Amino acid sequence: MDVLRLQNLQKSFGSVRALKNASLTLREGEVVALLGDNGAGKSTLIKAISGVFPIDRGEIFVRGEKVSIRSTRDAMDLGIETIHQDTSLAPDLSIARNLFLGREPVNFGWLGVFAPLDLAKLRKAASELLKRVGISKKLDADALVSTLSGGERQSIAISRAMQFAAKVIILDEPTNNLGVEETHGVLRFVKEVRDAGHSVLLITHNIHHVFQVADRIIVMRRGEIVAEQTVADTDLLTVESIITGADMSALLKEARAK
Amino acid sequence: MPVGKRRSSLIRSPQFSSLVILIVLLAVFAIADRNFLSPLNISNMMAFLPELGIIALGMTLLLTAGEFDLSVGAVFGLAPVLVMLLVQNGNWDIGVALLAGLLLCIAIGAINGLIVTKIGISSFLVTLSMLLVVRGAALYITQGFPLKSWDQPGFFVTLLAGSFNVGSFRFYTSLWWFIGLSVFAIYILRYAKLGNWISAIGSNRNAAVARGVPADAVKIWLFIATSVLAGLAGMISAFRISAASPVAGTGYELEVIAMVVVGGTALTGGRGTILGTIVGALMLRAIRNGIVLIGVPGLAYNIFVGLIILAMLILHALLQKNAARS
Ligand SMILES: Nc1ncnc2c1ncn2[C@@H]1O[C@H](COP(=O)(O)OP(=O)(O)O)[C@@H](O)[C@H]1O
Ligand SMILES: [Mg+2]
Repeated sequence: MDVLRLQNLQKSFGSVRALKNASLTLREGEVVALLGDNGAGKSTLIKAISGVFPIDRGEIFVRGEKVSIRSTRDAMDLGIETIHQDTSLAPDLSIARNLFLGREPVNFGWLGVFAPLDLAKLRKAASELLKRVGISKKLDADALVSTLSGGERQSIAISRAMQFAAKVIILDEPTNNLGVEETHGVLRFVKEVRDAGHSVLLITHNIHHVFQVADRIIVMRRGEIVAEQTVADTDLLTVESIITGADMSALLKEARAK
Repeated sequence: MPVGKRRSSLIRSPQFSSLVILIVLLAVFAIADRNFLSPLNISNMMAFLPELGIIALGMTLLLTAGEFDLSVGAVFGLAPVLVMLLVQNGNWDIGVALLAGLLLCIAIGAINGLIVTKIGISSFLVTLSMLLVVRGAALYITQGFPLKSWDQPGFFVTLLAGSFNVGSFRFYTSLWWFIGLSVFAIYILRYAKLGNWISAIGSNRNAAVARGVPADAVKIWLFIATSVLAGLAGMISAFRISAASPVAGTGYELEVIAMVVVGGTALTGGRGTILGTIVGALMLRAIRNGIVLIGVPGLAYNIFVGLIILAMLILHALLQKNAARS
Protein backbone atom coordinates (compact mmCIF):
# COMPACT_ATOMS: atom_id res chain seq x y z
CA MET A 1 0.00 0.00 0.00
CA ASP A 2 1.39 3.42 -0.95
CA VAL A 3 1.32 5.62 2.10
CA LEU A 4 2.62 8.64 0.29
CA ARG A 5 2.80 9.37 -3.41
CA LEU A 6 4.24 12.50 -4.95
CA GLN A 7 3.54 13.26 -8.58
CA ASN A 8 5.47 15.80 -10.61
CA LEU A 9 6.20 18.23 -7.82
CA GLN A 10 7.66 21.53 -8.93
CA LYS A 11 9.00 24.37 -6.87
CA SER A 12 11.02 27.42 -7.85
CA PHE A 13 12.66 30.11 -5.75
CA GLY A 14 12.85 33.01 -8.14
CA SER A 15 14.92 31.71 -11.03
CA VAL A 16 16.22 28.70 -9.07
CA ARG A 17 14.23 25.61 -9.98
CA ALA A 18 14.76 23.68 -6.77
CA LEU A 19 12.29 20.93 -7.73
CA LYS A 20 11.77 20.16 -11.39
CA ASN A 21 9.56 17.14 -11.71
CA ALA A 22 9.87 15.06 -8.61
CA SER A 23 7.77 11.93 -8.22
CA LEU A 24 8.16 9.21 -5.65
CA THR A 25 6.20 6.73 -3.59
CA LEU A 26 6.63 5.57 -0.06
CA ARG A 27 5.11 2.26 0.98
CA GLU A 28 3.88 1.10 4.31
CA GLY A 29 6.57 0.12 6.81
CA GLU A 30 9.60 0.86 4.67
CA VAL A 31 12.58 3.13 5.05
CA VAL A 32 13.38 5.05 1.90
CA ALA A 33 16.65 6.94 1.75
CA LEU A 34 16.69 10.16 -0.22
CA LEU A 35 20.21 10.87 -1.38
CA GLY A 36 21.83 13.67 -3.29
CA ASP A 37 24.52 16.26 -3.23
CA ASN A 38 24.19 19.58 -1.46
CA GLY A 39 21.65 21.69 -3.29
CA ALA A 40 20.03 18.73 -5.03
CA GLY A 41 16.63 19.73 -3.67
CA LYS A 42 16.16 17.19 -0.88
CA SER A 43 15.25 19.68 1.79
CA THR A 44 12.98 21.53 -0.62
CA LEU A 45 11.16 18.30 -1.41
CA ILE A 46 10.49 17.45 2.20
CA LYS A 47 9.57 21.02 3.10
CA ALA A 48 6.96 20.87 0.38
CA ILE A 49 5.55 17.64 1.81
CA SER A 50 5.58 18.95 5.37
CA GLY A 51 3.82 22.20 4.52
CA VAL A 52 6.63 24.66 5.16
CA PHE A 53 5.81 26.24 1.82
CA PRO A 54 3.30 25.45 -0.93
CA ILE A 55 4.36 23.67 -4.12
CA ASP A 56 4.05 25.45 -7.45
CA ARG A 57 2.69 22.45 -9.31
CA GLY A 58 2.15 18.73 -8.78
CA GLU A 59 0.02 16.40 -6.72
CA ILE A 60 0.38 14.71 -3.34
CA PHE A 61 -1.53 11.58 -2.39
CA VAL A 62 -1.76 10.18 1.12
CA ARG A 63 -3.04 6.60 1.16
CA GLY A 64 -4.29 7.06 -2.35
CA GLU A 65 -6.25 10.18 -1.56
CA LYS A 66 -5.30 13.47 -3.16
CA VAL A 67 -4.50 16.08 -0.54
CA SER A 68 -3.47 19.68 -0.45
CA ILE A 69 -0.88 20.64 2.14
CA ARG A 70 -0.84 24.34 2.78
CA SER A 71 0.60 24.53 6.29
CA THR A 72 2.68 22.50 8.71
CA ARG A 73 -0.56 21.87 10.58
CA ASP A 74 -2.12 20.31 7.46
CA ALA A 75 0.81 17.92 7.14
CA MET A 76 0.67 16.95 10.82
CA ASP A 77 -3.07 16.33 10.58
CA LEU A 78 -2.43 14.00 7.65
CA GLY A 79 0.01 12.01 9.77
CA ILE A 80 3.17 13.37 8.21
CA GLU A 81 5.72 14.25 10.88
CA THR A 82 8.96 15.92 9.89
CA ILE A 83 12.18 16.33 11.77
CA HIS A 84 13.95 19.18 10.08
CA GLN A 85 17.68 19.70 9.89
CA ASP A 86 18.84 21.03 13.29
CA THR A 87 15.60 22.86 13.97
CA SER A 88 13.20 20.44 15.52
CA LEU A 89 13.26 21.30 19.23
CA ALA A 90 13.08 24.42 21.37
CA PRO A 91 16.10 24.20 23.70
CA ASP A 92 14.64 26.40 26.44
CA LEU A 93 11.59 24.20 26.90
CA SER A 94 11.42 20.96 28.86
CA ILE A 95 11.34 17.61 27.11
CA ALA A 96 7.67 17.20 28.01
CA ARG A 97 6.74 20.60 26.62
CA ASN A 98 8.67 19.93 23.44
CA LEU A 99 7.03 16.57 22.93
CA PHE A 100 3.62 18.21 22.90
CA LEU A 101 4.49 21.54 21.32
CA GLY A 102 1.63 22.62 19.07
CA ARG A 103 -0.57 19.81 20.43
CA GLU A 104 -0.62 20.64 24.10
CA PRO A 105 -3.11 18.82 26.31
CA VAL A 106 -5.23 21.51 27.98
CA ASN A 107 -8.09 21.96 30.38
CA PHE A 108 -10.96 24.29 29.47
CA GLY A 109 -10.19 24.01 25.78
CA TRP A 110 -12.78 26.66 24.96
CA LEU A 111 -10.34 29.25 26.31
CA GLY A 112 -8.31 28.77 23.14
CA VAL A 113 -4.71 29.92 23.43
CA PHE A 114 -5.45 31.11 26.96
CA ALA A 115 -6.38 27.61 28.10
CA PRO A 116 -4.28 26.21 30.96
CA LEU A 117 -1.97 23.32 30.09
CA ASP A 118 -2.88 20.02 31.67
CA LEU A 119 0.55 19.76 33.27
CA ALA A 120 -0.09 16.46 35.03
CA LYS A 121 -1.23 14.81 31.82
CA LEU A 122 1.63 16.42 29.92
CA ARG A 123 4.23 15.03 32.29
CA LYS A 124 2.63 11.60 32.52
CA ALA A 125 2.29 11.22 28.77
CA ALA A 126 5.87 12.39 28.31
CA SER A 127 7.31 9.87 30.77
CA GLU A 128 5.23 7.10 29.23
CA LEU A 129 6.49 8.00 25.81
CA LEU A 130 10.10 8.15 26.96
CA LYS A 131 9.65 4.76 28.56
CA ARG A 132 8.09 3.31 25.42
CA VAL A 133 10.96 4.41 23.24
CA GLY A 134 13.43 3.14 25.78
CA ILE A 135 15.13 6.36 26.81
CA SER A 136 13.37 6.97 30.11
CA LYS A 137 16.16 5.66 32.29
CA LYS A 138 18.41 8.56 31.49
CA LEU A 139 15.99 11.36 30.77
CA ASP A 140 13.65 13.32 33.03
CA ALA A 141 10.59 14.70 31.26
CA ASP A 142 11.08 18.01 33.10
CA ALA A 143 14.69 18.45 31.96
CA LEU A 144 15.37 21.29 29.57
CA VAL A 145 16.27 20.22 26.07
CA SER A 146 19.30 22.54 26.22
CA THR A 147 20.86 20.11 28.69
CA LEU A 148 20.66 17.17 26.26
CA SER A 149 23.26 15.85 23.84
CA GLY A 150 22.69 16.01 20.12
CA GLY A 151 21.80 12.33 19.93
CA GLU A 152 19.34 12.59 22.79
CA ARG A 153 17.72 15.54 21.05
CA GLN A 154 17.28 13.57 17.84
CA SER A 155 15.80 10.68 19.80
CA ILE A 156 13.35 13.06 21.44
CA ALA A 157 12.42 14.54 18.08
CA ILE A 158 11.90 11.10 16.56
CA SER A 159 9.85 9.88 19.49
CA ARG A 160 7.69 12.95 19.16
CA ALA A 161 7.05 12.04 15.55
CA MET A 162 6.15 8.48 16.59
CA GLN A 163 3.80 9.45 19.33
CA PHE A 164 1.19 10.94 17.06
CA ALA A 165 1.08 7.65 15.19
CA ALA A 166 2.37 9.39 12.14
CA LYS A 167 1.98 7.46 8.92
CA VAL A 168 5.09 9.05 7.50
CA ILE A 169 8.13 10.20 9.40
CA ILE A 170 10.59 12.36 7.51
CA LEU A 171 14.09 12.84 8.84
CA ASP A 172 16.30 15.50 7.28
CA GLU A 173 19.95 14.66 7.94
CA PRO A 174 19.25 13.36 11.46
CA THR A 175 22.83 12.29 12.06
CA ASN A 176 24.47 15.57 11.14
CA ASN A 177 26.77 16.81 13.89
CA LEU A 178 26.40 13.60 15.89
CA GLY A 179 29.16 11.43 17.28
CA VAL A 180 29.65 7.84 16.15
CA GLU A 181 27.88 6.38 19.16
CA GLU A 182 24.94 8.76 18.86
CA THR A 183 24.67 8.17 15.14
CA HIS A 184 24.29 4.46 15.73
CA GLY A 185 21.67 5.17 18.36
CA VAL A 186 19.64 7.21 15.91
CA LEU A 187 19.95 4.63 13.15
CA ARG A 188 18.84 1.88 15.52
CA PHE A 189 15.94 4.09 16.40
CA VAL A 190 14.99 4.49 12.75
CA LYS A 191 14.79 0.71 12.41
CA GLU A 192 12.60 0.49 15.48
CA VAL A 193 10.33 3.14 14.07
CA ARG A 194 9.95 1.12 10.90
CA ASP A 195 9.34 -2.07 12.84
CA ALA A 196 6.58 -0.25 14.68
CA GLY A 197 4.89 0.15 11.31
CA HIS A 198 5.76 3.69 10.31
CA SER A 199 7.13 4.64 6.93
CA VAL A 200 10.32 6.63 7.02
CA LEU A 201 11.82 9.00 4.48
CA LEU A 202 15.43 9.44 5.49
CA ILE A 203 17.52 12.19 3.99
CA THR A 204 21.22 11.86 4.39
CA HIS A 205 24.62 12.50 2.94
CA ASN A 206 26.08 9.36 4.31
CA ILE A 207 25.74 6.38 2.01
CA HIS A 208 26.98 3.96 4.65
CA HIS A 209 24.00 4.79 6.84
CA VAL A 210 21.71 4.10 3.96
CA PHE A 211 22.96 0.59 3.56
CA GLN A 212 22.46 -0.01 7.26
CA VAL A 213 18.81 1.02 7.53
CA ALA A 214 17.13 1.67 4.19
CA ASP A 215 15.00 -0.64 2.07
CA ARG A 216 15.07 1.56 -1.00
CA ILE A 217 17.23 4.38 -2.28
CA ILE A 218 16.10 7.39 -4.25
CA VAL A 219 18.72 9.74 -5.67
CA MET A 220 18.10 13.38 -6.52
CA ARG A 221 20.21 15.62 -8.64
CA ARG A 222 19.48 19.26 -9.56
CA GLY A 223 15.84 19.08 -8.56
CA GLU A 224 15.10 15.81 -10.27
CA ILE A 225 14.90 12.20 -9.21
CA VAL A 226 17.53 10.41 -11.23
CA ALA A 227 17.50 6.92 -9.80
CA GLU A 228 15.45 4.57 -7.68
CA GLN A 229 16.78 1.22 -6.47
CA THR A 230 16.18 -1.34 -3.78
CA VAL A 231 19.12 -1.69 -1.45
CA ALA A 232 19.36 -5.41 -2.06
CA ASP A 233 19.90 -4.82 -5.78
CA THR A 234 22.68 -2.28 -5.61
CA ASP A 235 25.92 -1.45 -3.93
CA LEU A 236 27.81 1.47 -2.50
CA LEU A 237 29.87 2.28 -5.58
CA THR A 238 26.92 2.38 -7.90
CA VAL A 239 24.97 4.68 -5.68
CA GLU A 240 27.95 6.92 -5.17
CA SER A 241 28.44 7.35 -8.88
CA ILE A 242 24.77 8.14 -9.41
CA ILE A 243 24.88 10.83 -6.78
CA THR A 244 27.86 12.56 -8.28
CA GLY A 245 26.55 12.05 -11.81
CA ALA A 246 29.55 10.15 -13.06
CA ASP A 247 29.04 8.20 -16.25
CA MET A 248 25.87 6.58 -15.11
CA SER A 249 24.82 4.38 -17.97
CA ALA A 250 28.17 2.67 -18.14
CA LEU A 251 28.32 2.17 -14.43
CA LEU A 252 24.78 0.92 -14.23
CA LYS A 253 25.38 -1.55 -17.01
CA GLU A 254 28.46 -2.73 -15.23
CA ALA A 255 26.57 -3.07 -12.00
CA ARG A 256 23.83 -5.05 -13.65
CA ALA A 257 26.32 -7.34 -15.32
CA LYS A 258 27.72 -8.24 -11.94
CA MET B 1 11.36 15.81 40.02
CA PRO B 2 12.55 15.17 43.54
CA VAL B 3 12.05 17.98 46.03
CA GLY B 4 15.75 18.51 46.62
CA LYS B 5 16.44 18.86 42.94
CA ARG B 6 13.53 21.24 42.50
CA ARG B 7 14.74 23.39 45.36
CA SER B 8 18.25 23.65 43.99
CA SER B 9 16.96 24.59 40.56
CA LEU B 10 14.83 27.29 42.20
CA ILE B 11 17.85 28.68 44.00
CA ARG B 12 19.85 28.72 40.81
CA SER B 13 17.04 30.35 38.84
CA PRO B 14 17.63 33.92 37.69
CA GLN B 15 14.59 35.36 39.45
CA PHE B 16 15.83 33.96 42.74
CA SER B 17 19.27 35.58 42.51
CA SER B 18 17.58 38.84 41.51
CA LEU B 19 15.36 38.58 44.56
CA VAL B 20 18.34 38.08 46.86
CA ILE B 21 20.04 41.13 45.41
CA LEU B 22 16.84 43.15 45.74
CA ILE B 23 16.64 42.28 49.42
CA VAL B 24 20.30 43.19 49.93
CA LEU B 25 19.79 46.50 48.16
CA LEU B 26 16.69 47.30 50.21
CA ALA B 27 18.58 46.48 53.39
CA VAL B 28 21.53 48.67 52.39
CA PHE B 29 19.29 51.61 51.58
CA ALA B 30 17.23 51.13 54.73
CA ILE B 31 20.36 51.13 56.88
CA ALA B 32 21.96 54.04 55.03
CA ASP B 33 18.89 56.22 55.29
CA ARG B 34 16.07 55.74 57.78
CA ASN B 35 13.67 57.60 55.55
CA PHE B 36 13.93 54.91 52.88
CA LEU B 37 11.31 52.74 54.57
CA SER B 38 9.13 55.64 55.73
CA PRO B 39 5.48 55.45 54.71
CA LEU B 40 5.89 58.55 52.57
CA ASN B 41 8.82 57.13 50.64
CA ILE B 42 7.26 53.71 50.21
CA SER B 43 4.04 55.33 49.01
CA ASN B 44 6.10 57.34 46.58
CA MET B 45 7.86 54.31 45.17
CA MET B 46 4.60 52.39 44.88
CA ALA B 47 3.06 55.27 42.92
CA PHE B 48 5.77 55.10 40.26
CA LEU B 49 6.27 51.36 40.24
CA PRO B 50 3.16 50.29 38.31
CA GLU B 51 3.70 52.77 35.52
CA LEU B 52 6.93 51.23 34.30
CA GLY B 53 6.06 47.81 35.72
CA ILE B 54 2.96 47.44 33.56
CA ILE B 55 4.98 48.11 30.42
CA ALA B 56 7.65 45.70 31.62
CA LEU B 57 5.08 42.87 31.76
CA GLY B 58 4.34 43.25 28.06
CA MET B 59 8.01 43.67 27.29
CA THR B 60 8.81 40.42 29.12
CA LEU B 61 6.41 38.44 26.96
CA LEU B 62 7.72 40.13 23.83
CA LEU B 63 11.36 39.49 24.76
CA THR B 64 10.55 35.87 25.56
CA ALA B 65 9.18 35.53 22.04
CA GLY B 66 12.46 36.95 20.76
CA GLU B 67 11.43 40.54 19.92
CA PHE B 68 11.47 43.87 21.70
CA ASP B 69 9.85 47.24 21.43
CA LEU B 70 11.69 50.56 21.69
CA SER B 71 8.58 52.63 20.99
CA VAL B 72 6.90 52.05 24.38
CA GLY B 73 8.19 55.30 25.94
CA ALA B 74 6.86 57.30 23.00
CA VAL B 75 3.48 55.53 23.14
CA PHE B 76 3.41 56.25 26.87
CA GLY B 77 3.67 59.93 25.89
CA LEU B 78 1.39 60.02 22.85
CA ALA B 79 -1.65 58.11 24.12
CA PRO B 80 -2.59 60.53 26.95
CA VAL B 81 -1.71 63.56 24.82
CA LEU B 82 -4.13 62.39 22.14
CA VAL B 83 -6.87 61.58 24.65
CA MET B 84 -6.53 64.95 26.40
CA LEU B 85 -6.50 66.85 23.11
CA LEU B 86 -9.67 65.14 21.98
CA VAL B 87 -11.35 65.90 25.29
CA GLN B 88 -10.13 69.45 25.77
CA ASN B 89 -9.98 70.78 22.21
CA GLY B 90 -12.39 68.47 20.48
CA ASN B 91 -14.95 68.30 23.29
CA TRP B 92 -15.06 64.54 23.01
CA ASP B 93 -16.50 62.46 25.77
CA ILE B 94 -13.65 61.10 27.91
CA GLY B 95 -14.78 57.49 27.38
CA VAL B 96 -14.82 57.86 23.61
CA ALA B 97 -11.47 59.66 23.70
CA LEU B 98 -9.97 56.80 25.73
CA LEU B 99 -11.31 54.35 23.18
CA ALA B 100 -9.57 56.36 20.46
CA GLY B 101 -6.36 56.20 22.49
CA LEU B 102 -6.73 52.45 22.79
CA LEU B 103 -7.24 52.09 19.04
CA LEU B 104 -4.16 54.20 18.45
CA CYS B 105 -2.06 51.89 20.64
CA ILE B 106 -3.47 48.82 18.90
CA ALA B 107 -2.62 50.35 15.53
CA ILE B 108 0.95 51.19 16.56
CA GLY B 109 1.53 47.70 17.94
CA ALA B 110 -0.02 46.07 14.88
CA ILE B 111 2.16 48.11 12.52
CA ASN B 112 5.29 47.20 14.52
CA GLY B 113 4.33 43.54 14.51
CA LEU B 114 3.32 43.36 10.87
CA ILE B 115 6.53 44.98 9.64
CA VAL B 116 8.70 42.82 11.88
CA THR B 117 7.04 39.52 10.97
CA LYS B 118 5.81 39.98 7.42
CA ILE B 119 8.62 42.08 5.98
CA GLY B 120 11.26 40.60 8.22
CA ILE B 121 13.00 43.72 9.49
CA SER B 122 14.52 43.43 12.97
CA SER B 123 12.38 44.74 15.78
CA PHE B 124 15.25 47.00 16.83
CA LEU B 125 15.07 48.97 13.60
CA VAL B 126 11.30 48.93 13.23
CA THR B 127 10.50 50.06 16.75
CA LEU B 128 13.34 52.60 16.78
CA SER B 129 11.76 54.22 13.74
CA MET B 130 8.35 53.94 15.38
CA LEU B 131 9.75 55.67 18.46
CA LEU B 132 10.68 58.67 16.31
CA VAL B 133 7.35 58.72 14.49
CA VAL B 134 5.29 58.47 17.66
CA ARG B 135 7.34 60.92 19.69
CA GLY B 136 7.37 63.28 16.74
CA ALA B 137 3.58 63.00 16.48
CA ALA B 138 3.16 63.80 20.17
CA LEU B 139 5.35 66.89 19.84
CA TYR B 140 3.66 68.02 16.66
CA ILE B 141 0.04 67.75 17.75
CA THR B 142 0.82 69.62 20.98
CA GLN B 143 3.27 72.02 19.35
CA GLY B 144 5.64 70.88 22.08
CA PHE B 145 3.61 72.20 24.99
CA PRO B 146 2.24 70.12 27.84
CA LEU B 147 -1.54 70.07 27.90
CA LYS B 148 -3.23 72.15 30.54
CA SER B 149 -3.96 70.21 33.61
CA TRP B 150 -6.87 67.85 33.80
CA ASP B 151 -8.40 67.79 37.22
CA GLN B 152 -11.98 66.70 36.69
CA PRO B 153 -12.47 63.58 38.74
CA GLY B 154 -14.65 60.95 37.23
CA PHE B 155 -15.11 57.26 36.70
CA PHE B 156 -12.06 56.78 34.49
CA VAL B 157 -9.77 58.87 36.65
CA THR B 158 -10.78 56.85 39.70
CA LEU B 159 -10.42 53.64 37.75
CA LEU B 160 -6.89 54.38 36.59
CA ALA B 161 -5.45 56.77 39.15
CA GLY B 162 -7.70 56.81 42.20
CA SER B 163 -5.92 56.62 45.52
CA PHE B 164 -6.62 55.10 48.91
CA ASN B 165 -4.95 55.05 52.28
CA VAL B 166 -3.80 52.04 54.26
CA GLY B 167 -2.68 53.35 57.65
CA SER B 168 -0.20 56.04 56.85
CA PHE B 169 0.51 54.60 53.41
CA ARG B 170 -1.10 56.13 50.34
CA PHE B 171 -1.60 53.80 47.38
CA TYR B 172 -3.00 54.31 43.90
CA THR B 173 -5.40 52.01 42.09
CA SER B 174 -2.64 51.59 39.54
CA LEU B 175 -1.06 49.18 42.01
CA TRP B 176 -4.10 46.92 41.60
CA TRP B 177 -3.73 47.11 37.85
CA PHE B 178 -0.11 46.09 38.17
CA ILE B 179 -0.88 43.21 40.52
CA GLY B 180 -3.78 41.99 38.41
CA LEU B 181 -1.86 42.19 35.16
CA SER B 182 1.15 40.51 36.79
CA VAL B 183 -0.95 37.56 37.89
CA PHE B 184 -2.41 37.30 34.41
CA ALA B 185 1.04 37.47 32.80
CA ILE B 186 2.41 34.79 35.13
CA TYR B 187 -0.53 32.59 34.26
CA ILE B 188 -0.02 33.13 30.53
CA LEU B 189 3.70 32.48 30.50
CA ARG B 190 3.84 29.52 32.84
CA TYR B 191 0.53 27.74 32.66
CA ALA B 192 -1.27 28.62 29.44
CA LYS B 193 -0.87 27.09 26.02
CA LEU B 194 0.00 30.57 24.74
CA GLY B 195 2.98 30.77 27.09
CA ASN B 196 4.32 27.48 25.77
CA TRP B 197 4.10 28.95 22.29
CA ILE B 198 5.74 32.24 23.30
CA SER B 199 8.73 30.48 24.87
CA ALA B 200 9.04 28.07 21.97
CA ILE B 201 8.96 30.86 19.39
CA GLY B 202 11.71 32.74 21.20
CA SER B 203 13.73 29.61 21.77
CA ASN B 204 13.58 28.23 18.24
CA ARG B 205 11.13 29.89 15.91
CA ASN B 206 11.50 27.37 13.11
CA ALA B 207 10.87 24.48 15.45
CA ALA B 208 7.70 26.15 16.71
CA VAL B 209 6.47 26.89 13.20
CA ALA B 210 7.18 23.30 12.17
CA ARG B 211 4.85 22.18 14.98
CA GLY B 212 2.06 24.37 13.63
CA VAL B 213 2.51 27.23 16.08
CA PRO B 214 1.34 30.49 14.44
CA ALA B 215 4.52 32.38 15.31
CA ASP B 216 3.81 35.54 13.35
CA ALA B 217 0.32 35.97 14.76
CA VAL B 218 1.57 35.44 18.31
CA LYS B 219 4.28 38.06 17.82
CA ILE B 220 1.91 40.59 16.29
CA TRP B 221 -0.49 40.19 19.22
CA LEU B 222 2.39 40.59 21.67
CA PHE B 223 3.45 43.83 19.96
CA ILE B 224 -0.15 45.02 20.25
CA ALA B 225 -0.37 44.02 23.91
CA THR B 226 2.90 45.80 24.71
CA SER B 227 1.76 48.95 22.97
CA VAL B 228 -1.61 48.89 24.72
CA LEU B 229 0.07 48.39 28.10
CA ALA B 230 2.40 51.33 27.35
CA GLY B 231 -0.62 53.48 26.52
CA LEU B 232 -2.42 52.32 29.67
CA ALA B 233 0.63 53.19 31.76
CA GLY B 234 0.77 56.60 30.08
CA MET B 235 -2.90 57.26 30.91
CA ILE B 236 -2.36 56.19 34.52
CA SER B 237 0.59 58.54 34.83
CA ALA B 238 -1.19 61.46 33.17
CA PHE B 239 -4.27 61.06 35.39
CA ARG B 240 -2.13 60.74 38.49
CA ILE B 241 -0.22 63.97 37.91
CA SER B 242 -3.19 65.61 36.18
CA ALA B 243 -1.19 66.56 33.13
CA ALA B 244 -0.14 65.15 29.77
CA SER B 245 3.23 66.09 28.40
CA PRO B 246 4.42 65.25 24.89
CA VAL B 247 7.82 64.32 26.26
CA ALA B 248 6.50 62.06 29.03
CA GLY B 249 8.11 58.63 29.00
CA THR B 250 11.32 59.69 27.29
CA GLY B 251 13.93 56.99 27.87
CA TYR B 252 11.41 54.59 29.41
CA GLU B 253 12.05 51.98 26.74
CA LEU B 254 15.57 51.37 28.02
CA GLU B 255 14.53 51.52 31.66
CA VAL B 256 11.84 48.93 30.99
CA ILE B 257 14.18 46.63 29.07
CA ALA B 258 16.67 46.98 31.93
CA MET B 259 13.99 45.91 34.43
CA VAL B 260 13.16 42.88 32.35
CA VAL B 261 16.71 41.64 31.77
CA VAL B 262 17.80 42.42 35.34
CA GLY B 263 14.98 40.13 36.39
CA GLY B 264 16.50 37.28 34.42
CA THR B 265 14.63 37.26 31.11
CA ALA B 266 16.99 36.51 28.23
CA LEU B 267 17.40 39.29 25.68
CA THR B 268 17.81 36.60 23.05
CA GLY B 269 14.41 35.04 23.69
CA GLY B 270 13.15 31.70 24.95
CA ARG B 271 13.62 32.31 28.64
CA GLY B 272 11.26 34.74 30.34
CA THR B 273 10.17 35.24 33.91
CA ILE B 274 7.41 37.54 35.06
CA LEU B 275 8.37 37.14 38.72
CA GLY B 276 11.86 38.20 37.76
CA THR B 277 10.47 41.24 35.97
CA ILE B 278 8.49 42.24 39.05
CA VAL B 279 11.68 41.93 41.09
CA GLY B 280 13.53 43.89 38.41
CA ALA B 281 10.92 46.66 38.42
CA LEU B 282 11.10 46.89 42.21
CA MET B 283 14.88 46.90 42.04
CA LEU B 284 15.25 49.71 39.54
CA ARG B 285 12.60 51.74 41.37
CA ALA B 286 14.41 51.19 44.68
CA ILE B 287 17.79 52.00 43.19
CA ARG B 288 16.59 55.24 41.62
CA ASN B 289 14.89 56.24 44.84
CA GLY B 290 17.52 55.00 47.27
CA ILE B 291 20.48 56.49 45.47
CA VAL B 292 18.99 59.95 45.76
CA LEU B 293 18.14 59.43 49.41
CA ILE B 294 21.61 58.30 50.41
CA GLY B 295 23.00 61.43 48.83
CA VAL B 296 24.66 60.34 45.61
CA PRO B 297 24.95 63.55 43.58
CA GLY B 298 22.19 63.82 40.99
CA LEU B 299 24.56 63.90 38.07
CA ALA B 300 26.39 60.75 39.20
CA TYR B 301 23.15 58.90 39.52
CA ASN B 302 23.10 57.06 36.18
CA ILE B 303 26.62 55.79 36.79
CA PHE B 304 25.30 53.77 39.70
CA VAL B 305 22.17 52.61 37.95
CA GLY B 306 24.25 51.46 35.00
CA LEU B 307 26.81 49.68 37.15
CA ILE B 308 24.18 47.83 39.15
CA ILE B 309 22.44 46.68 35.98
CA LEU B 310 25.75 45.52 34.56
CA ALA B 311 26.56 43.62 37.75
CA MET B 312 23.17 41.88 37.62
CA LEU B 313 23.65 40.84 34.02
CA ILE B 314 27.11 39.45 34.77
CA LEU B 315 25.63 37.48 37.64
CA HIS B 316 22.90 36.01 35.43
CA ALA B 317 25.44 35.11 32.76
CA LEU B 318 27.62 33.32 35.30
CA LEU B 319 24.66 31.44 36.75
CA GLN B 320 23.56 30.47 33.27
CA LYS B 321 27.03 29.10 32.50
CA ASN B 322 27.05 27.17 35.74
CA ALA B 323 23.65 25.67 35.06
CA ALA B 324 24.72 24.61 31.59
CA ARG B 325 27.82 22.93 32.97
CA SER B 326 26.15 20.95 35.72
N1 LIG C 1 14.18 29.40 0.64
C1 LIG C 1 14.95 29.35 -0.47
N2 LIG C 1 15.09 30.44 -1.23
C2 LIG C 1 15.84 30.40 -2.35
N3 LIG C 1 16.48 29.32 -2.79
C3 LIG C 1 16.37 28.19 -2.06
C4 LIG C 1 15.61 28.15 -0.87
N4 LIG C 1 15.67 26.89 -0.35
C5 LIG C 1 16.46 26.20 -1.20
N5 LIG C 1 16.87 26.97 -2.23
C6 LIG C 1 17.70 26.52 -3.35
O1 LIG C 1 17.13 25.37 -3.87
C7 LIG C 1 18.12 24.43 -4.22
C8 LIG C 1 17.87 23.13 -3.44
O2 LIG C 1 18.17 23.33 -2.05
P1 LIG C 1 17.89 22.25 -0.91
O3 LIG C 1 16.55 21.66 -1.15
O4 LIG C 1 18.14 22.88 0.39
O5 LIG C 1 19.03 21.18 -1.22
P2 LIG C 1 19.54 19.97 -0.34
O6 LIG C 1 18.71 19.85 0.88
O7 LIG C 1 19.42 18.80 -1.25
O8 LIG C 1 20.97 20.25 -0.02
C9 LIG C 1 19.45 25.05 -3.91
O9 LIG C 1 19.95 25.62 -5.10
C10 LIG C 1 19.10 26.11 -2.93
O10 LIG C 1 20.01 27.19 -3.01
MG1 LIG D 1 19.29 20.04 3.07
